[in-house]
Amino acid sequence: MPADIKTHPSSGATSLEGAVFTFQSEADRVEAIDKAFDYRGDVTLTLRNEQVEGYMFNRDARATPPRVEVFAKGAAEPRVIPYADITAIAFTGKDTADGKSWAAWVSKKEHERQAEADRIKAEAEAQGHL
Amino acid sequence: MVPLSQAWTVASYVLTQKYLKGRKRYPLVLMLEPLFRCNLACAGCGKIQYPDHVLNKRLTPQQCFDAVEECGAPMVSIPGGEPLIHQEIDEIVAGLVERKKYIYLCTNALLLKRKLDLFKPSTYLTFSVHMDGLKQEHDTAVCRDGTFDIAVEAIKEAVKRGFRVTTNTTLFNGTNPEHVREFFDEMMTLGVEGMMLSPGYTYEKAPDQQNFLHRDQTKALFKQILSNPKKNWRFNLSPLFLKFLQGDLDFECTPWGSPAYNIFGWQKPCYLLQDGYVKTFKEYLELTDWDHYGNKSDNPKCQDCMVHCGFEPSAVNATFGSLSGFLQTAKATMGA
Repeated sequence: MPADIKTHPSSGATSLEGAVFTFQSEADRVEAIDKAFDYRGDVTLTLRNEQVEGYMFNRDARATPPRVEVFAKGAAEPRVIPYADITAIAFTGKDTADGKSWAAWVSKKEHERQAEADRIKAEAEAQGHL
Repeated sequence: MVPLSQAWTVASYVLTQKYLKGRKRYPLVLMLEPLFRCNLACAGCGKIQYPDHVLNKRLTPQQCFDAVEECGAPMVSIPGGEPLIHQEIDEIVAGLVERKKYIYLCTNALLLKRKLDLFKPSTYLTFSVHMDGLKQEHDTAVCRDGTFDIAVEAIKEAVKRGFRVTTNTTLFNGTNPEHVREFFDEMMTLGVEGMMLSPGYTYEKAPDQQNFLHRDQTKALFKQILSNPKKNWRFNLSPLFLKFLQGDLDFECTPWGSPAYNIFGWQKPCYLLQDGYVKTFKEYLELTDWDHYGNKSDNPKCQDCMVHCGFEPSAVNATFGSLSGFLQTAKATMGA
């Protein structure tokens, strides 16, 4: 298993937000990359000589060499990074899929639900999307 | 009912792919997602959970045209996100109309009335308005009050101006069949061309994980809704797909029938699952491990799925796959 070093508490019981993975083996690296691919937030990849922060939207373990694709923050084009160059993965971005369960939505008081709906509406209006 | 020209185009396309070209796998509808940004945050949707810098990305019109040409499907569905947020959606639609593609622009209609002037009525363009039920059900499903009324106003305006309009409805666990039947009645009074229906898919990333339907529940629910249809109800679906939803027919999924293209590339294996992306449609068809997907596979993500994008192509394939399939469709169409 990859080493999971929590740098700060996750926002949810199952979210990886805040986790940092370093690798003891190739299997560790593959497992951590799979988790990063499945994560709906930005991750920070530590490479040999730099760090890259962005959204990992693709991974291909069967490619030669195995590689991931990342949209780095602010970049127009995705960056291709070989598995072998990645020495650690930190789940640094907000987990956008976390903490929004239907149960949580229902369990909120009516005024809290209304406040959340109003906030999302206001954000859409501010962006010119309504 | 869809226009005869569309029915003819689709029928001749399928027959050409199956019998003249002998293709084992061919696309029917391209799911073209030009953006993931939406102006709603529905509890059943797993399409919008991304960081802001990803939500701010857009496919360009040229990228859309290239994907459409590469895919070759006669129909293009434009979901998202909310496509009407895209600043160049008019250019995208105009380019696809020029290419004689039958477009279903899927929208929650919050911006539709305001943006109708960007479009011209055409046989090739249909607004497919997201409506998840009557006022209370719909506003609850999309987590915002007032949305149903705005969508109804937009539908009326679009119909009045001569646009083709359909509705698309996703049904979840706990749906009241009688309310759905009342909803169908109401949509028919608005003058929509047809209604599209689908059970929801259990997106891993959707906030709502409890209200998705399992396969037997899906069949029971749709049987209750559809077993005694009213004569004035019109559906924008294959008759065999409607029978499949009620458990009267069984199909295997056809994930390549509705391939998805978005800012990440061609999505493997389907519109709903994200197992990776490839650069070209050819790679999508050739490199996807198709045996790993579908109800008969051991993939747990596929076991409860009866969603439109996977099984409507199966129903169409069944219609044109044999004389009995064609006769079955004809019989179902006539309500026999």
